[in-house]
Amino acid sequence: MTDISQNKPQSRIAAFWDSDLAYAFRHSPIAMVSFLTVFLLVFSALCAPLIAPFNPYDPASLDLMNGFTPPMTSNDFTGAEFMLGTDDQGRDVLSTILYGMRISLFVGFSAVMFAMILGISLGLIAGYIGGWTETIIMRIADVQLTFPSILVAMLIFGIAKGVTPIEYRDQMAIWVLIIAIGLSDWVQFARVVRGATLVEKNREYVLAAQLIGRSSPVIMLRHILPNVLSPVLVIATISLALAIIAEATLSFLGVGAPPTQPSLGTLIRIGQGFLFSGEWWILFFPSCTLLALALSVNLLGDWLRDALNPKLR
Amino acid sequence: MKTITYSAMLLALSTTAHAESFKWAGTTDPQTMDPHAVNSAPVLGFLNNVYEGLVRRGKDMAVEPALATSWEPIGDGEGWRFHLREGVTFHDGASFTADDVIFSYERASSEPADVKGWFAPISEVKKVDDYTVDFMTSAPNPIFPDSIANWMIMDADWTASVGADLPNKDAGNAATLQANGTGAYMLKDRQPGLQTTLVAYDGWWGDDIGNVTEATFTPIQNPATAVAALLSGDVDMINPVPIQDAARLEGSAEVEVIKGIEARVIMLGFAQGADVLKYGADAGKPNPFLDVKVREAVAKAINVPAILRTIMRGNAEEASQLVSPAMRGYSTAHSERPAFDVDGAKALLAEAGYADGFSFGLKCPNDRYLNDEAVCQAVTAMLAQVGITAELDAMPVRNYWPELREDNFDMYLLGWSPGTFDHEHPVRFLASTPNAEKKLGSWNFGDYSNARIDELLPMIQSEIDDTKRQAMIDETTAIYQSEHAYVPLYIQPLVWGTRSNIDLTQRPDNFFILRWASVN
Repeated sequence: MTDISQNKPQSRIAAFWDSDLAYAFRHSPIAMVSFLTVFLLVFSALCAPLIAPFNPYDPASLDLMNGFTPPMTSNDFTGAEFMLGTDDQGRDVLSTILYGMRISLFVGFSAVMFAMILGISLGLIAGYIGGWTETIIMRIADVQLTFPSILVAMLIFGIAKGVTPIEYRDQMAIWVLIIAIGLSDWVQFARVVRGATLVEKNREYVLAAQLIGRSSPVIMLRHILPNVLSPVLVIATISLALAIIAEATLSFLGVGAPPTQPSLGTLIRIGQGFLFSGEWWILFFPSCTLLALALSVNLLGDWLRDALNPKLR
Repeated sequence: MKTITYSAMLLALSTTAHAESFKWAGTTDPQTMDPHAVNSAPVLGFLNNVYEGLVRRGKDMAVEPALATSWEPIGDGEGWRFHLREGVTFHDGASFTADDVIFSYERASSEPADVKGWFAPISEVKKVDDYTVDFMTSAPNPIFPDSIANWMIMDADWTASVGADLPNKDAGNAATLQANGTGAYMLKDRQPGLQTTLVAYDGWWGDDIGNVTEATFTPIQNPATAVAALLSGDVDMINPVPIQDAARLEGSAEVEVIKGIEARVIMLGFAQGADVLKYGADAGKPNPFLDVKVREAVAKAINVPAILRTIMRGNAEEASQLVSPAMRGYSTAHSERPAFDVDGAKALLAEAGYADGFSFGLKCPNDRYLNDEAVCQAVTAMLAQVGITAELDAMPVRNYWPELREDNFDMYLLGWSPGTFDHEHPVRFLASTPNAEKKLGSWNFGDYSNARIDELLPMIQSEIDDTKRQAMIDETTAIYQSEHAYVPLYIQPLVWGTRSNIDLTQRPDNFFILRWASVN
């Protein structure tokens, strides 16, 4: 076996397979299980229109008489059967979860991307330029850190809701949600990138780039950025889990995704109304999905942090 | 000096020994403390504890003397004479006289008042002496005393001194946050949307009062939170109990569920005065709801039995007209509502030229009626099945009424409980052509209009013979049913939950009268 891999030139995949990161992955059952969970959930969310038994966004497909059907039992009036039961409107819980997860993941990914771009840019600028620019950016970051990020997100959401005309509110809700969560989350990125930039900017390769007359933006993006990215990757993964939970929290509080486009948080809020009356499945399955998603993303982030930390290797 | 302080303390202690505090919660916060600003049950029901009218309703809904001790018709139906109660004082100590009645009439019948419709039959109000007032009617009006049980008397001087001469339902004024009535309870603290505290008024003229000395109302929108608060004893009473939780609460020894059928009919209304649709993909196109066939199609498309079985869990009854069978003047001849018929609805839409359907906006409150948002979602799904797309916009009631008043809807959900317990009431408020001068049709947001109904209403109001009156009401019912002016859906159930140590009386109009409550 060994001679084959030595003789042939390694492909990229094989090179990755042999890397330290892949080695750490292969030897961490937690990482493998959480990766598999995330993969399955993301895959089923992406393929929701193909695999979901119903389209929960199409009101014509709903039959109110199917309402409150328990999981795996047939409805008393219509005889229809649903794997995870139905909610008060006769909506299939499984389909609603699959579609709801799309919203949650979309908001989570987009919010983290937004926070990452904003945080990295500001962090690079603060670290590289220094002086007053740095002071202003980092003080804003410090002030924002003193508020819980969910409060900041609610504030931004509230202001945005106040200024958008009522007809566009539902269409805008998702984008507002992304911006609100993104804006409440950029500080982590900015701090880490600034710290790493402070170290990197005094290295010889940066001095060399400065000597040959490259402009500051080029140095920041082409030279420093690639060298500060690995901690960013870890924060991004953990932020993703937090962003998904933040979106669920906002939607649960009724200030997030509109009822016509229910996300996991909205589903949990709806289910909560039936908590006392015994229709547990409306709340239980969306909550489990959210738990599985957030937990495995978080575990993956933890593992990534350990795997990329040279001290723990 | 010391002994005086001690005895004062003892006195204070001895009175507080019997003091009982009481907390209750509901989904809707009364929007205002002004009794003339908003004609809605949460406001009037709450303020019935603070303000009083000339007459009031008892536990059986019968009218009984309050600030008037007696009343009699003047001449041959020219009006009504009210003899006022003497020795009544407002909460600030001012005494109650005929001037306050005249002032309250002028205020409540003024243009910005939401309750001006109650005074449509009145031509003039005359002060005979300090304790006698004559209400002259333009035509004989046998039900007038019955129709003003929620008209509350304010103190002329106090209202002028705080600058609240006229009600202001949207912007509000001093009377929105303060109150000075003659009722058994005084408003101690008002924090809109958070909590409202009442304390017993020692100077109240009556003696029919329980042992509650301080009461706090908290709006709790989330049904599960309200149930948890009741179960844990944080509140002594909730109204309503979420319909899905009634069965569970009935099984608990610590709480009791009080059920009844409310006088409230839940219905759908249409924009019938607008030429074009305002919402949805077809906004700006001609308004299909002007066509009676489309309205009939909506009536047929809605599966009311399914709503009752699933969302109301068997606790409500179908409605065929604007009042429930328990009301006076209910038309037994017209007690059938259009049967659920998807094919029939589709055929009617095709006949009207909407075979491919259309899209429009449905407005709905989400904290006013039992499971209102769920009902609207179900309506949306049912209409989708006949090919018309409703864009649902559900909102809290404090935003909802202003939206309806601005005509910002194509279709809307409305609940109506006749304050007089008479069929004439919804005909006057909902089926009459809106007319600010005559104070008619003030809640007819969709501008439904029928000349014959407008002609029948004054005849119904002045008819004394019950058979003739019923015949006219039957005719009115037949007209608004055949024109599908509204689509009545169901009669809302009344479900209250209390701790088992609380005694209270549930009035069929869903008013909670605090002086009937006692803590054991």
